[in-house]
Amino acid sequence: MAGLLTADAPRAYPVLTLQSMTTTKELWENALVELELTISKPNFNTWFRDTHIVRVEEGSIYLGVPSQFARDWLSTKFHKDILRSLRMLEEGIRNVEYVISRGSKKAPDEVWRLPPSPNELPLEAVHQKSNLNPRFTLSSFVVGPFNELANAAAQAIIRKPGIAYNPLFIYGTTGLGKTHLIQAVGNHFRANEPSRKVYYVTSERFSMDYVSALQGGGEKVQHFKEKYRQYDLLIMDDVQFLANRDKIKEEFFHLFNFLHDNNKQLVFSSDQHPNVIQGLEDRLKSRLNAGMVVSVTPPDHQSRLAIVRQKASVHNVAFPDDVLDYLATTIEGNVRELEGALNALLIQTEMRGEALTLPEAKILLRGSGAGQKKVISVQEVVKTVSSFYGVEEGSIYEKTRRKEVVRPRQVIMYILREDFRISFPTIGEKLGGRDHTTVIHSCDKIRNDLQVDSVLSNELHQIRMTLK
Amino acid sequence: MKFECKTAELFSTVSTTARFSERRASLPVLGSILITAEGDRLLVRATNLECGVEITIPAKIQSEGIVAIPALVFAGFLGNARGNSITALLSGELFKIQSLSASASIKTIPHEDFPLLPRVSAEKSFSIKCSDLSRVIRAVSYCASLSAVKPELQSIMFYADAGKFFAVATDSFRLAEKSVPLNSGGSVPQLLVPVRSASEIMRILESQVGNVEIYYNENQLSFQTDRIYYTGRLLDGTFPNYKQIIPKSFSTESLVLLDDFGIALKSLSVFSDKFAQVSLSIDPSKKTISLTSRNPDVGEQTSTIKTTAKGDAVTISFNSRYLSDGLQSILGESVRLNSNGPGKPMLIKDASDDSFLYIAMPMNR
Repeated sequence: MAGLLTADAPRAYPVLTLQSMTTTKELWENALVELELTISKPNFNTWFRDTHIVRVEEGSIYLGVPSQFARDWLSTKFHKDILRSLRMLEEGIRNVEYVISRGSKKAPDEVWRLPPSPNELPLEAVHQKSNLNPRFTLSSFVVGPFNELANAAAQAIIRKPGIAYNPLFIYGTTGLGKTHLIQAVGNHFRANEPSRKVYYVTSERFSMDYVSALQGGGEKVQHFKEKYRQYDLLIMDDVQFLANRDKIKEEFFHLFNFLHDNNKQLVFSSDQHPNVIQGLEDRLKSRLNAGMVVSVTPPDHQSRLAIVRQKASVHNVAFPDDVLDYLATTIEGNVRELEGALNALLIQTEMRGEALTLPEAKILLRGSGAGQKKVISVQEVVKTVSSFYGVEEGSIYEKTRRKEVVRPRQVIMYILREDFRISFPTIGEKLGGRDHTTVIHSCDKIRNDLQVDSVLSNELHQIRMTLK
Repeated sequence: MKFECKTAELFSTVSTTARFSERRASLPVLGSILITAEGDRLLVRATNLECGVEITIPAKIQSEGIVAIPALVFAGFLGNARGNSITALLSGELFKIQSLSASASIKTIPHEDFPLLPRVSAEKSFSIKCSDLSRVIRAVSYCASLSAVKPELQSIMFYADAGKFFAVATDSFRLAEKSVPLNSGGSVPQLLVPVRSASEIMRILESQVGNVEIYYNENQLSFQTDRIYYTGRLLDGTFPNYKQIIPKSFSTESLVLLDDFGIALKSLSVFSDKFAQVSLSIDPSKKTISLTSRNPDVGEQTSTIKTTAKGDAVTISFNSRYLSDGLQSILGESVRLNSNGPGKPMLIKDASDDSFLYIAMPMNR
């Protein structure tokens, strides 16, 4: 409604057809303002709470009230006041009827249902909700050198939840199966220990829950806290999105402490090492580091081949070996892209009803990003890093051990090793003929320093961003 | 207003009524009881807007009138009053009462704000024995949920079908169902009575004899005995479809003496941990059930009781209270404990009585 209804304000809507909810809502709110002035506060709070206009019909207003107590009392005690205050706003109103309805209170009940505990009676089918996708199991998870550590940690957690590694923090770039792995942990835990509570949540969903709890007020916040504190295994995906949200980080911090202190297992995933996530306080970083931090790296050729075979067998489609090999060779890095390319081949195969040959597959995959890997030379890395630290590019290759050169040189070695998988001897050779043990030492040094030095981790993050 | 009536009668009336008053309500008058003196009787009324009650008692009325006074103050005075009769008089804003040995004056509350008690139209009703209704409520009410998360579980669900009247309650960890024969009314739809109101109904009807006619509509349930009118709100909601979770077949069935089982549970409670965990090992081949309870700070105890059992040997842990709670409603001498293994609900029944059943969910581990 445009402003308060004053005597000379034009009536914006026809009186007898107050149909839209907003109009009747505003009408009743304005009437309540009037009523509040004439009725004592305790009376007003007791009797007019949870009232609303249900509908308007031919000049009669149907007022929804929460109980028969309220209906009887309003209609005998306050009927005149109600009618008068409504008539002041709308002259055409002839009568007010009272109906018992709890429509105004329905919504919150549905939002706040605690996810059920497995040792409750299975009263309804919806009680089984852990938010886990049953599709993700460990048996469909292809293990290779690139993720065997993460897989081993996951297995350990399934055997000894809350004891083995708590929290488990898995990081790696997109499309490497982090979500698959952590959901599989949840699914196995649930299968092994049906009586204990598992919950999978993305950090985004967690934030939304928290925000809506805050909007709902004290009780809802309490619900929120209780909801998340009841789990025996909490899995949170993409925690990097928690950064830069101060209130939520604080809530997360308390939740973490509560669950961790009670030996509940926590599993997190992120696209970066916790130390590198921007906007995360040290107290959170150190906690996320407390258990086990493992990375999943892009799969090697053998693993990619195994993944392609596994996915193909799920769909019951046979591909010639050379096609699969081509797929695994050309699409590097991201498993999701690999899956996408495989799906493209699958559809073609199904449409044609016969197996694809290698040349056909090559044509099909031409546009899908296969073989379009970004190539960065060692020189470029050296150039980027040295300009970042403000040292002369040439000094990196020299046999100098000046402090301001040593650190950038080590960083270069670390990046070449970690991000580009170049062998230690090659790195040594490219950077001025150094021994491979020097390179190994440098990489180890940076890796160790990263654990304690947040400045360094920030620097690395920025360098990586410029290299991308 | 001036009247005289019997002390004991007034005290029991006022203390029953006072339980319906609500001290913490935003409306102060809800913490009071309303006394109306008319003809040759007193009407004593209280309500918390969930449920309300009005009790009639005979009195010698010298002048008619109406007054609202704080329920607990009046009940407190009457509880310690001596002598056979009480005289009361309203003078200005003070309600003056006189017993054999004491006199008091209580500040009154403006009675104009005192709510009406809704009357339920007499269209739908059923008739049931007072003692039966209070019995079914007693048999299941301890199972109702205390948490407000699922309001429908904070209630006792009544319904009737094929001449049988059922009461059901669950907090989603255990569930109890009790049935009694229904006099008339045939079938009754699901009525969700808030557990607090149900306990009051139980207390009121316990002392009554004969039948009571219960009236209901979709929002409200009421009844009238010769002296008492009760009315209360029904909960809006759907009770879970509990029939489907009552197991029909079992992998282990055993029969124990109620006394054996009850005493074992009670003695084990000394050693129970903070979760009151007790584990039951049913061994059909040895014909024993051993119950173990362990508390790392205290010690542990194992009790072995005799059983006749068939099926698989099984070990399940329970919250011992969830087991003992169910036993209090069993009247026969022996109890059936029927299980489908760990993680599955266990059915507890009176071996000689089909009208009561109880389901408990095992604990974690």
